Amino acid sequence: MEWFQKNPLALAGLVAWIVGILMLMPGRKATSVRIPRLGLLVTAAGVVLFCAGVGGRGPEFANEVMFWTFAVGALLCGVLMITARNPVYGALWFALSTLSTCGLFLLQSAPFLAAATVIVYAGAVIVTFLFVIMLAQQSGAAAYDHRSRNAIPVTLASFVLLGAITLTLHKSPPAFSKRDLKEEAKVEVAAAAPPTGMMMVSPDNLPKEKPASKPNQLSLETAKLPVGSMKGLGKSLFGDYLFAVELAGTLLLVACIGAIAIAPRREEGAL
Amino acid sequence: MTPEDMRYLLVGAGLFILGAIGFLTRRNLILMVLCAELMLHGVSLSMVTFGRIHQTNEGQAFTIFTLTVAACEAGLALSLVLALYRKSHSLDIQLWSELRDPDVPGPKPDEPETGSGATGSSYGEIPTLTVAGPAPLEPVAGGR
Repeated sequence: MEWFQKNPLALAGLVAWIVGILMLMPGRKATSVRIPRLGLLVTAAGVVLFCAGVGGRGPEFANEVMFWTFAVGALLCGVLMITARNPVYGALWFALSTLSTCGLFLLQSAPFLAAATVIVYAGAVIVTFLFVIMLAQQSGAAAYDHRSRNAIPVTLASFVLLGAITLTLHKSPPAFSKRDLKEEAKVEVAAAAPPTGMMMVSPDNLPKEKPASKPNQLSLETAKLPVGSMKGLGKSLFGDYLFAVELAGTLLLVACIGAIAIAPRREEGAL
Repeated sequence: MTPEDMRYLLVGAGLFILGAIGFLTRRNLILMVLCAELMLHGVSLSMVTFGRIHQTNEGQAFTIFTLTVAACEAGLALSLVLALYRKSHSLDIQLWSELRDPDVPGPKPDEPETGSGATGSSYGEIPTLTVAGPAPLEPVAGGR
């Protein structure tokens, strides 16, 4: 709580965010045209205040601008998605939120992941969802889209959770700096020299005398390959996790067969 | 953990919370599935950030597996939604509240909505014209 007292901006942002979501939520009494716009304004102000309250200062200006654009865009589009009356608009807001998240992935030096997410979500998932919405809701807006279940307690409880996460993140001491990790990795390599691509940690592989604060073996720094490079990611996927990749392919096949089996047949009648 | 990393973690937490709110409050089956995907986005962002904090590729590799599972989940969820739609001819989740335990109270019936949304149209208030003149002839099937 003291942290929130020192940062009233974050708390005010949270409160404005809650009020804005509750104003935007379908099924509230006042549904005149002006109220949703007011709720949108309040929500946007809340998101911006919260981000300004909790955010640290980064090194570069361009990075800052991109981060704030993507972060506010992702959160605001998320709010608009969960409060959309029309499910088609909800799906489109979700696509925008996905694109903003992909921007954040790019800023976190994960270009392959950003491209894959755009292709999978914006290219496949959203299109399929839109097809299903158009198939199932040909009569336009339905009554149940204009109402929400337990909006006030759910929103309050969820934002209490968000406040708790914020507090915990700001209270927790920095686990280690990257410099410490590098030194420990050097110690590790000198002591044990584990074989490359070794995933199974058996007692034989562990070094005999382990350092006091040894990091997780899986999170050791790969010295030669920079984070996020295609080479490093490919080595990780097809070296360490080859079995898991095969398993994921099998999972896709099984899900495909299952979806075909569950989906209604044409001879069972039209939808 | 630098302040920059913390910002990304907070955005991930915010996306997760928004997805949770939407999943718990919305009544449209498809929007609920979409909200679950939004929660997955938040977790993916957090995992990528963790990988960057630790300077490893494991976070991104794990996120790719999450992406795979999310794609499977979307496909299966949509076929399930279609199967449910065939039974009830509606995407309302509350029609399936009969599956609850007998001692659990059911959902409250909808109160009639006040305001402009009561017309059931997404366009808001539609002005009505006073009727003038005779009603137009209905088109005859097969005729002119």
